[in-house]
Amino acid sequence: MSAQHPLTTPLIKENPLALRVLGLCPALAITNSMTSALVMSAALTVVLVISNSTVSLVRNLLPSSVRLIVQITVIASAVTVIDQFLKAFLPDTAARLSVYVALIITNCIVLGRAEGCAMKENVGTSILDALGNGAGYSMILVAVAFQRELVGKGSLMGYQVFDPVSQGGWFPENALVTLAPSAFFIIGVLVWVIRTWKRDQCEKPDFEPIPLPRREKR
Amino acid sequence: MAKDSPIRALLTILVTAVVCSFFVSASVVLLRPIQLNNKLLERSGNVLALTGLLPAGREVSDDQLLDLFKSLDARVVDIDAVELDSEFDPYTFDARKASTNPEFSVPVPAAEDIASLGRRSSYETIYLVWKDDRLERVVLPIRGAGMWSMLYGYIALESDFNTIAGMMIYEQNETPGLGDQITKPHWQAKWVGKKLFDDTDEVLFRVAEGPVHAGASGAEYQVDALTGATITANAVTAMIKYWFGPNGYGPLLERMREQGVRKAADGAAQEG
Repeated sequence: MSAQHPLTTPLIKENPLALRVLGLCPALAITNSMTSALVMSAALTVVLVISNSTVSLVRNLLPSSVRLIVQITVIASAVTVIDQFLKAFLPDTAARLSVYVALIITNCIVLGRAEGCAMKENVGTSILDALGNGAGYSMILVAVAFQRELVGKGSLMGYQVFDPVSQGGWFPENALVTLAPSAFFIIGVLVWVIRTWKRDQCEKPDFEPIPLPRREKR
Repeated sequence: MAKDSPIRALLTILVTAVVCSFFVSASVVLLRPIQLNNKLLERSGNVLALTGLLPAGREVSDDQLLDLFKSLDARVVDIDAVELDSEFDPYTFDARKASTNPEFSVPVPAAEDIASLGRRSSYETIYLVWKDDRLERVVLPIRGAGMWSMLYGYIALESDFNTIAGMMIYEQNETPGLGDQITKPHWQAKWVGKKLFDDTDEVLFRVAEGPVHAGASGAEYQVDALTGATITANAVTAMIKYWFGPNGYGPLLERMREQGVRKAADGAAQEG
Protein backbone atom coordinates (compact mmCIF):
# COMPACT_ATOMS: atom_id res chain seq x y z
CA MET A 1 0.00 0.00 0.00
CA SER A 2 1.39 3.36 -0.95
CA ALA A 3 1.76 6.21 1.50
CA GLN A 4 -1.16 8.08 -0.15
CA HIS A 5 -3.83 5.44 -0.67
CA PRO A 6 -7.05 7.22 -1.75
CA LEU A 7 -9.25 5.00 0.43
CA THR A 8 -7.35 5.00 3.73
CA THR A 9 -5.52 8.32 3.76
CA PRO A 10 -8.69 10.40 4.42
CA LEU A 11 -9.57 8.31 7.48
CA ILE A 12 -7.08 9.72 9.98
CA LYS A 13 -4.14 11.13 8.09
CA GLU A 14 -6.14 13.62 6.05
CA ASN A 15 -9.55 13.48 7.68
CA PRO A 16 -11.79 16.07 6.02
CA LEU A 17 -13.30 17.15 9.33
CA ALA A 18 -10.49 16.70 11.82
CA LEU A 19 -7.60 17.94 9.70
CA ARG A 20 -9.20 20.23 7.15
CA VAL A 21 -12.12 21.24 9.39
CA LEU A 22 -14.56 21.13 6.47
CA GLY A 23 -18.26 20.37 6.69
CA LEU A 24 -18.51 21.62 10.25
CA CYS A 25 -22.01 23.05 9.86
CA PRO A 26 -23.95 19.76 9.54
CA ALA A 27 -21.55 18.18 12.02
CA LEU A 28 -22.85 20.60 14.64
CA ALA A 29 -26.46 20.52 13.56
CA ILE A 30 -27.39 16.89 13.11
CA THR A 31 -25.14 14.97 15.48
CA ASN A 32 -27.64 14.96 18.36
CA SER A 33 -28.90 11.56 17.25
CA MET A 34 -27.13 8.51 15.86
CA THR A 35 -29.83 7.85 13.26
CA SER A 36 -29.53 11.35 11.78
CA ALA A 37 -25.74 11.09 11.77
CA LEU A 38 -25.78 7.73 9.98
CA VAL A 39 -28.28 8.85 7.34
CA MET A 40 -26.37 12.10 6.84
CA SER A 41 -23.09 10.18 6.49
CA ALA A 42 -24.62 7.82 3.95
CA ALA A 43 -26.17 10.71 1.99
CA LEU A 44 -22.87 12.59 1.91
CA THR A 45 -20.91 9.51 0.86
CA VAL A 46 -23.34 8.76 -1.99
CA VAL A 47 -23.20 12.37 -3.17
CA LEU A 48 -19.39 12.29 -3.01
CA VAL A 49 -19.25 9.10 -5.07
CA ILE A 50 -21.68 10.45 -7.69
CA SER A 51 -19.95 13.82 -7.98
CA ASN A 52 -16.40 12.45 -7.95
CA SER A 53 -17.12 9.75 -10.54
CA THR A 54 -19.09 12.08 -12.83
CA VAL A 55 -16.54 14.89 -12.66
CA SER A 56 -13.68 12.42 -13.20
CA LEU A 57 -15.45 10.95 -16.25
CA VAL A 58 -15.79 14.30 -17.98
CA ARG A 59 -12.64 15.93 -16.58
CA ASN A 60 -10.85 15.95 -19.93
CA LEU A 61 -13.82 17.49 -21.75
CA LEU A 62 -14.37 20.37 -19.33
CA PRO A 63 -13.15 23.83 -20.37
CA SER A 64 -11.46 25.18 -17.26
CA SER A 65 -13.45 28.44 -17.43
CA VAL A 66 -16.71 26.67 -16.59
CA ARG A 67 -15.49 23.67 -14.63
CA LEU A 68 -16.69 24.97 -11.25
CA ILE A 69 -20.17 25.64 -12.61
CA VAL A 70 -20.37 22.12 -14.01
CA GLN A 71 -19.09 20.62 -10.76
CA ILE A 72 -21.64 22.53 -8.67
CA THR A 73 -24.47 21.61 -11.05
CA VAL A 74 -23.57 17.93 -10.82
CA ILE A 75 -23.33 18.13 -7.01
CA ALA A 76 -26.60 20.07 -6.68
CA SER A 77 -28.42 17.56 -8.89
CA ALA A 78 -27.05 14.58 -6.96
CA VAL A 79 -28.08 16.18 -3.67
CA THR A 80 -31.60 16.96 -4.92
CA VAL A 81 -32.06 13.39 -6.11
CA ILE A 82 -30.83 11.98 -2.77
CA ASP A 83 -33.09 14.41 -0.89
CA GLN A 84 -36.10 13.21 -2.90
CA PHE A 85 -35.20 9.57 -2.18
CA LEU A 86 -34.86 10.24 1.54
CA LYS A 87 -38.21 12.04 1.62
CA ALA A 88 -39.82 9.09 -0.14
CA PHE A 89 -38.24 6.20 1.75
CA LEU A 90 -37.06 7.60 5.10
CA PRO A 91 -39.59 10.39 5.71
CA ASP A 92 -39.07 10.60 9.48
CA THR A 93 -35.31 10.97 9.31
CA ALA A 94 -35.61 13.30 6.31
CA ALA A 95 -37.91 15.53 8.35
CA ARG A 96 -35.40 15.57 11.21
CA LEU A 97 -32.49 16.38 8.91
CA SER A 98 -34.68 19.10 7.31
CA VAL A 99 -32.51 21.47 5.29
CA TYR A 100 -29.21 19.80 6.09
CA VAL A 101 -29.56 17.24 3.31
CA ALA A 102 -30.08 20.02 0.76
CA LEU A 103 -27.15 21.86 2.33
CA ILE A 104 -24.77 19.04 1.32
CA ILE A 105 -24.54 21.11 -1.88
CA THR A 106 -22.56 23.71 0.02
CA ASN A 107 -20.50 21.15 1.95
CA CYS A 108 -16.93 22.09 1.09
CA ILE A 109 -15.83 18.46 1.20
CA VAL A 110 -17.82 17.60 -1.94
CA LEU A 111 -16.59 20.49 -4.06
CA GLY A 112 -13.15 20.15 -2.51
CA ARG A 113 -12.81 16.52 -3.61
CA ALA A 114 -14.29 17.25 -7.07
CA GLU A 115 -11.77 20.01 -7.64
CA GLY A 116 -8.88 18.49 -5.68
CA CYS A 117 -9.08 14.87 -6.77
CA ALA A 118 -11.65 14.09 -9.46
CA MET A 119 -10.32 16.75 -11.88
CA LYS A 120 -6.91 15.05 -11.80
CA GLU A 121 -7.42 11.35 -11.19
CA ASN A 122 -9.09 8.54 -13.12
CA VAL A 123 -12.57 7.28 -12.24
CA GLY A 124 -11.41 4.35 -10.07
CA THR A 125 -9.15 6.48 -7.90
CA SER A 126 -11.81 9.19 -7.66
CA ILE A 127 -14.43 6.73 -6.43
CA LEU A 128 -12.00 5.29 -3.84
CA ASP A 129 -11.18 8.84 -2.77
CA ALA A 130 -14.90 9.62 -2.42
CA LEU A 131 -15.48 6.49 -0.34
CA GLY A 132 -12.44 7.27 1.81
CA ASN A 133 -13.48 10.86 2.46
CA GLY A 134 -17.08 9.79 3.07
CA ALA A 135 -15.88 7.24 5.60
CA GLY A 136 -13.52 9.72 7.27
CA TYR A 137 -16.34 12.26 7.64
CA SER A 138 -18.82 9.60 8.77
CA MET A 139 -16.42 8.33 11.44
CA ILE A 140 -16.29 11.72 13.13
CA LEU A 141 -20.06 12.34 12.76
CA VAL A 142 -20.92 8.97 14.28
CA ALA A 143 -18.35 9.36 17.07
CA VAL A 144 -19.80 12.77 18.00
CA ALA A 145 -23.40 11.59 17.67
CA PHE A 146 -22.71 8.52 19.83
CA GLN A 147 -21.54 10.70 22.71
CA ARG A 148 -24.21 13.37 22.26
CA GLU A 149 -27.14 10.97 22.08
CA LEU A 150 -25.90 8.78 24.94
CA VAL A 151 -25.07 11.61 27.33
CA GLY A 152 -27.84 13.96 26.19
CA LYS A 153 -30.77 11.58 25.99
CA GLY A 154 -29.52 8.28 27.42
CA SER A 155 -30.43 6.54 24.18
CA LEU A 156 -28.70 5.15 21.09
CA MET A 157 -30.38 5.01 17.68
CA GLY A 158 -33.59 5.99 19.48
CA TYR A 159 -33.49 3.02 21.87
CA GLN A 160 -33.42 4.03 25.53
CA VAL A 161 -30.22 2.62 27.03
CA PHE A 162 -30.38 4.41 30.37
CA ASP A 163 -33.63 5.29 32.18
CA PRO A 164 -33.80 9.10 32.19
CA VAL A 165 -34.76 11.03 35.32
CA SER A 166 -37.65 12.74 33.51
CA GLN A 167 -39.34 9.37 33.16
CA GLY A 168 -38.60 8.19 36.67
CA GLY A 169 -35.21 6.57 36.00
CA TRP A 170 -31.77 7.37 37.35
CA PHE A 171 -29.98 8.89 34.34
CA PRO A 172 -29.70 12.70 34.40
CA GLU A 173 -30.03 13.88 30.81
CA ASN A 174 -27.58 16.60 29.88
CA ALA A 175 -29.44 19.27 27.92
CA LEU A 176 -26.18 21.05 27.02
CA VAL A 177 -24.96 18.01 25.11
CA THR A 178 -28.09 18.01 22.93
CA LEU A 179 -27.39 21.61 21.87
CA ALA A 180 -25.14 22.42 18.92
CA PRO A 181 -22.22 24.01 20.85
CA SER A 182 -21.42 20.70 22.55
CA ALA A 183 -20.52 19.25 19.13
CA PHE A 184 -17.90 22.00 18.94
CA PHE A 185 -16.39 20.84 22.24
CA ILE A 186 -16.42 17.17 21.23
CA ILE A 187 -14.93 17.82 17.79
CA GLY A 188 -12.33 20.06 19.44
CA VAL A 189 -11.32 17.25 21.80
CA LEU A 190 -11.19 14.78 18.89
CA VAL A 191 -8.96 17.10 16.87
CA TRP A 192 -6.70 17.54 19.89
CA VAL A 193 -6.47 13.76 20.43
CA ILE A 194 -5.65 13.11 16.76
CA ARG A 195 -3.05 15.87 16.66
CA THR A 196 -1.43 14.68 19.86
CA TRP A 197 -1.06 11.28 18.22
CA LYS A 198 -0.10 12.60 14.76
CA ARG A 199 2.13 15.56 15.57
CA ASP A 200 2.63 16.42 11.89
CA GLN A 201 -1.02 17.58 11.69
CA CYS A 202 -0.32 20.50 13.99
CA GLU A 203 -0.25 23.76 12.07
CA LYS A 204 2.81 25.95 12.29
CA PRO A 205 2.13 29.23 14.05
CA ASP A 206 1.31 32.03 11.62
CA PHE A 207 4.07 34.18 13.06
CA GLU A 208 6.79 33.96 15.65
CA PRO A 209 6.02 36.01 18.73
CA ILE A 210 8.20 39.11 18.78
CA PRO A 211 10.48 38.96 21.79
CA LEU A 212 10.05 41.86 24.18
CA PRO A 213 12.90 44.35 23.94
CA ARG A 214 15.25 43.83 26.80
CA ARG A 215 15.68 46.84 28.99
CA GLU A 216 19.29 47.79 29.22
CA LYS A 217 20.75 48.03 32.63
CA ARG A 218 22.23 51.31 33.54
CA MET B 1 -12.62 23.43 -31.47
CA ALA B 2 -10.22 24.78 -28.90
CA LYS B 3 -10.88 23.46 -25.43
CA ASP B 4 -11.26 26.90 -23.91
CA SER B 5 -13.31 28.58 -26.63
CA PRO B 6 -16.45 30.40 -25.44
CA ILE B 7 -18.67 28.30 -27.74
CA ARG B 8 -17.41 25.12 -26.19
CA ALA B 9 -17.92 26.51 -22.68
CA LEU B 10 -21.49 27.40 -23.59
CA LEU B 11 -22.14 23.96 -25.07
CA THR B 12 -20.73 22.28 -21.98
CA ILE B 13 -23.04 24.27 -19.74
CA LEU B 14 -26.02 23.50 -21.95
CA VAL B 15 -25.38 19.76 -21.98
CA THR B 16 -24.78 19.73 -18.21
CA ALA B 17 -28.00 21.63 -17.58
CA VAL B 18 -30.10 19.33 -19.76
CA VAL B 19 -28.65 16.10 -18.37
CA CYS B 20 -28.84 17.24 -14.74
CA SER B 21 -32.38 18.59 -15.04
CA PHE B 22 -33.44 15.28 -16.55
CA PHE B 23 -32.26 13.38 -13.46
CA VAL B 24 -33.70 15.91 -11.02
CA SER B 25 -37.11 16.06 -12.74
CA ALA B 26 -37.29 12.29 -13.07
CA SER B 27 -36.60 11.75 -9.37
CA VAL B 28 -39.13 14.40 -8.33
CA VAL B 29 -41.89 13.12 -10.62
CA LEU B 30 -41.34 9.43 -9.94
CA LEU B 31 -41.06 9.78 -6.16
CA ARG B 32 -43.92 12.29 -5.69
CA PRO B 33 -46.67 9.64 -5.20
CA ILE B 34 -44.63 7.88 -2.51
CA GLN B 35 -43.93 11.18 -0.76
CA LEU B 36 -47.60 12.17 -0.83
CA ASN B 37 -48.54 8.78 0.56
CA ASN B 38 -45.99 9.30 3.35
CA LYS B 39 -47.60 12.63 4.21
CA LEU B 40 -51.07 11.08 4.32
CA LEU B 41 -49.75 8.21 6.45
CA GLU B 42 -48.14 10.67 8.84
CA ARG B 43 -51.34 12.66 9.16
CA SER B 44 -53.35 9.45 9.63
CA GLY B 45 -51.05 8.33 12.43
CA ASN B 46 -51.21 11.73 14.15
CA VAL B 47 -54.99 12.04 13.99
CA LEU B 48 -55.75 8.41 14.78
CA ALA B 49 -53.49 8.49 17.85
CA LEU B 50 -55.99 10.92 19.37
CA THR B 51 -59.18 9.16 18.31
CA GLY B 52 -58.81 6.20 20.64
CA LEU B 53 -59.45 3.93 17.66
CA LEU B 54 -55.94 2.51 17.49
CA PRO B 55 -55.48 -0.76 19.35
CA ALA B 56 -53.09 -0.08 22.22
CA GLY B 57 -49.63 -1.64 22.13
CA ARG B 58 -50.06 -3.26 18.73
CA GLU B 59 -48.41 -2.28 15.46
CA VAL B 60 -50.88 -1.32 12.77
CA SER B 61 -49.99 -1.83 9.12
CA ASP B 62 -49.92 1.17 6.81
CA ASP B 63 -52.96 -0.07 4.90
CA GLN B 64 -54.98 -0.55 8.08
CA LEU B 65 -53.97 2.93 9.19
CA LEU B 66 -55.16 4.49 5.92
CA ASP B 67 -58.42 2.51 5.96
CA LEU B 68 -59.09 3.59 9.52
CA PHE B 69 -58.26 7.20 8.67
CA LYS B 70 -60.59 7.23 5.67
CA SER B 71 -63.40 5.81 7.79
CA LEU B 72 -63.26 8.94 10.00
CA ASP B 73 -65.93 11.59 9.50
CA ALA B 74 -63.62 14.36 8.27
CA ARG B 75 -65.03 17.84 7.66
CA VAL B 76 -63.46 20.99 6.33
CA VAL B 77 -65.13 23.49 8.64
CA ASP B 78 -65.60 27.17 7.89
CA ILE B 79 -64.42 28.90 11.07
CA ASP B 80 -65.48 32.42 10.13
CA ALA B 81 -68.94 31.45 8.89
CA VAL B 82 -69.35 28.97 11.78
CA GLU B 83 -70.27 26.21 9.35
CA LEU B 84 -69.49 22.53 9.84
CA ASP B 85 -69.20 21.84 6.15
CA SER B 86 -67.65 23.47 3.14
CA GLU B 87 -67.08 22.56 -0.47
CA PHE B 88 -63.53 21.30 0.12
CA ASP B 89 -62.42 17.69 0.11
CA PRO B 90 -60.97 16.94 3.56
CA TYR B 91 -58.34 14.60 2.11
CA THR B 92 -56.84 17.09 -0.29
CA PHE B 93 -57.52 20.41 1.46
CA ASP B 94 -54.31 21.87 2.89
CA ALA B 95 -55.05 24.43 5.59
CA ARG B 96 -51.40 25.36 5.84
CA LYS B 97 -51.30 26.36 2.19
CA ALA B 98 -54.69 28.05 2.52
CA SER B 99 -53.44 30.22 5.38
CA THR B 100 -51.17 32.09 2.97
CA ASN B 101 -53.82 32.40 0.26
CA PRO B 102 -55.83 35.63 0.65
CA GLU B 103 -58.85 33.94 -0.91
CA PHE B 104 -59.16 31.32 1.81
CA SER B 105 -57.70 33.10 4.80
CA VAL B 106 -58.19 36.14 6.98
CA PRO B 107 -55.60 38.41 8.60
CA VAL B 108 -55.55 38.12 12.38
CA PRO B 109 -55.65 41.61 13.93
CA ALA B 110 -52.58 42.23 16.11
CA ALA B 111 -54.68 42.68 19.24
CA GLU B 112 -56.23 39.23 18.82
CA ASP B 113 -53.12 37.53 17.52
CA ILE B 114 -51.92 35.97 20.76
CA ALA B 115 -50.61 32.88 18.92
CA SER B 116 -48.65 35.06 16.41
CA LEU B 117 -50.33 33.57 13.37
CA GLY B 118 -50.39 36.65 11.15
CA ARG B 119 -52.97 35.06 8.87
CA ARG B 120 -55.32 32.23 9.62
CA SER B 121 -57.04 29.91 7.18
CA SER B 122 -60.82 30.30 7.30
CA TYR B 123 -61.07 26.57 6.85
CA GLU B 124 -59.64 23.71 8.89
CA THR B 125 -60.05 19.96 8.60
CA ILE B 126 -61.57 18.46 11.74
CA TYR B 127 -62.29 14.80 12.41
CA LEU B 128 -65.41 13.47 14.12
CA VAL B 129 -65.20 10.08 15.78
CA TRP B 130 -68.49 8.20 16.00
CA LYS B 131 -69.26 5.07 17.94
CA ASP B 132 -72.42 3.68 16.41
CA ASP B 133 -74.52 6.85 16.33
CA ARG B 134 -72.99 8.61 19.28
CA LEU B 135 -70.31 11.25 18.85
CA GLU B 136 -67.28 10.13 20.84
CA ARG B 137 -64.60 12.67 20.09
CA VAL B 138 -63.62 15.50 17.81
CA VAL B 139 -60.02 16.07 16.71
CA LEU B 140 -59.06 19.66 15.87
CA PRO B 141 -55.82 20.99 14.40
CA ILE B 142 -54.02 23.78 16.27
CA ARG B 143 -51.01 25.89 15.42
CA GLY B 144 -49.12 28.81 16.85
CA ALA B 145 -45.69 30.38 17.11
CA GLY B 146 -43.37 28.69 19.58
CA MET B 147 -40.01 30.00 20.69
CA TRP B 148 -38.15 29.29 17.45
CA SER B 149 -40.75 28.29 14.89
CA MET B 150 -44.39 27.36 14.40
CA LEU B 151 -45.89 24.56 16.48
CA TYR B 152 -48.35 22.29 14.72
CA GLY B 153 -50.54 19.84 16.56
CA TYR B 154 -53.92 18.31 17.19
CA ILE B 155 -56.17 18.31 20.17
CA ALA B 156 -58.99 15.84 20.78
CA LEU B 157 -62.09 16.74 22.78
CA GLU B 158 -64.72 14.49 24.30
CA SER B 159 -68.30 14.83 23.13
CA ASP B 160 -68.94 17.61 25.67
CA PHE B 161 -66.55 19.72 23.53
CA ASN B 162 -64.79 20.74 26.72
CA THR B 163 -62.88 17.79 28.22
CA ILE B 164 -59.51 17.13 26.57
CA ALA B 165 -59.15 13.56 25.34
CA GLY B 166 -55.63 13.97 24.05
CA MET B 167 -53.07 16.35 22.59
CA MET B 168 -50.12 15.95 20.30
CA ILE B 169 -47.58 18.20 18.59
CA TYR B 170 -46.35 16.81 15.29
CA GLU B 171 -44.09 19.59 14.13
CA GLN B 172 -41.93 21.92 16.20
CA ASN B 173 -38.40 23.16 16.45
CA GLU B 174 -38.14 24.05 20.11
CA THR B 175 -34.90 23.84 22.09
CA PRO B 176 -33.84 20.19 22.45
CA GLY B 177 -34.16 18.97 26.01
CA LEU B 178 -36.17 22.03 27.11
CA GLY B 179 -38.97 23.26 24.84
CA ASP B 180 -39.18 20.02 22.93
CA GLN B 181 -40.62 18.40 26.05
CA ILE B 182 -43.99 19.37 24.54
CA THR B 183 -43.61 16.35 22.25
CA LYS B 184 -43.01 13.92 25.12
CA PRO B 185 -45.85 11.43 25.68
CA HIS B 186 -45.59 11.64 29.46
CA TRP B 187 -46.30 15.37 29.36
CA GLN B 188 -49.04 15.09 26.76
CA ALA B 189 -50.68 12.38 28.88
CA LYS B 190 -51.19 14.99 31.61
CA TRP B 191 -53.60 16.86 29.34
CA VAL B 192 -56.11 14.02 29.29
CA GLY B 193 -59.20 14.81 31.34
CA LYS B 194 -58.42 18.52 31.74
CA LYS B 195 -61.09 21.07 30.84
CA LEU B 196 -60.81 23.95 28.38
CA PHE B 197 -63.77 26.14 29.31
CA ASP B 198 -65.38 27.27 32.53
CA ASP B 199 -69.17 27.67 32.91
CA THR B 200 -69.12 30.99 31.07
CA ASP B 201 -67.37 29.47 28.02
CA GLU B 202 -64.17 31.32 28.71
CA VAL B 203 -60.94 29.43 27.96
CA LEU B 204 -59.28 28.88 31.32
CA PHE B 205 -56.90 26.15 30.22
CA ARG B 206 -53.21 26.93 30.56
CA VAL B 207 -49.80 25.48 31.22
CA ALA B 208 -49.11 26.21 34.87
CA GLU B 209 -46.00 27.86 36.35
CA GLY B 210 -45.11 24.82 38.41
CA PRO B 211 -46.43 21.37 39.13
CA VAL B 212 -50.22 21.17 39.35
CA HIS B 213 -51.51 19.63 42.57
CA ALA B 214 -54.72 17.69 42.17
CA GLY B 215 -57.46 19.32 44.21
CA ALA B 216 -55.94 22.81 44.11
CA SER B 217 -58.27 25.47 42.77
CA GLY B 218 -58.25 25.54 38.99
CA ALA B 219 -56.26 22.29 38.77
CA GLU B 220 -58.73 20.87 36.25
CA TYR B 221 -57.77 23.66 33.81
CA GLN B 222 -53.98 23.33 34.18
CA VAL B 223 -51.14 21.02 33.22
CA ASP B 224 -47.67 20.91 34.79
CA ALA B 225 -45.10 23.50 33.79
CA LEU B 226 -42.23 22.66 31.50
CA THR B 227 -38.93 23.06 33.35
CA GLY B 228 -36.72 25.61 31.62
CA ALA B 229 -39.18 26.24 28.81
CA THR B 230 -41.34 29.14 29.96
CA ILE B 231 -41.57 30.72 26.49
CA THR B 232 -42.64 27.46 24.87
CA ALA B 233 -45.15 26.83 27.66
CA ASN B 234 -46.61 30.33 27.27
CA ALA B 235 -46.79 29.77 23.52
CA VAL B 236 -48.79 26.58 24.06
CA THR B 237 -51.15 28.41 26.43
CA ALA B 238 -51.59 31.25 23.89
CA MET B 239 -52.22 28.75 21.11
CA ILE B 240 -55.01 27.04 23.09
CA LYS B 241 -56.49 30.39 24.16
CA TYR B 242 -56.58 31.59 20.56
CA TRP B 243 -57.92 28.47 18.89
CA PHE B 244 -60.65 27.79 21.42
CA GLY B 245 -61.51 31.46 21.95
CA PRO B 246 -64.05 33.56 20.03
CA ASN B 247 -61.75 33.92 16.99
CA GLY B 248 -61.01 30.22 16.68
CA TYR B 249 -63.18 27.17 17.17
CA GLY B 250 -65.13 28.76 20.06
CA PRO B 251 -68.31 29.68 18.13
CA LEU B 252 -68.21 26.42 16.18
CA LEU B 253 -67.98 24.30 19.33
CA GLU B 254 -70.81 26.31 20.88
CA ARG B 255 -72.95 25.64 17.85
CA MET B 256 -72.14 21.93 17.96
CA ARG B 257 -72.94 21.84 21.67
CA GLU B 258 -76.32 23.53 21.17
CA GLN B 259 -77.49 22.06 17.90
CA GLY B 260 -75.67 18.75 17.93
CA VAL B 261 -73.89 17.23 14.95
CA ARG B 262 -75.23 14.81 12.40
CA LYS B 263 -73.15 11.93 11.18
CA ALA B 264 -71.94 12.61 7.65
CA ALA B 265 -72.88 9.20 6.25
CA ASP B 266 -76.50 9.63 7.44
CA GLY B 267 -76.76 13.03 5.85
CA ALA B 268 -75.53 11.67 2.56
CA ALA B 269 -78.00 8.80 2.76
CA GLN B 270 -80.89 11.20 3.34
CA GLU B 271 -79.93 13.33 0.42
CA GLY B 272 -79.56 10.30 -1.82
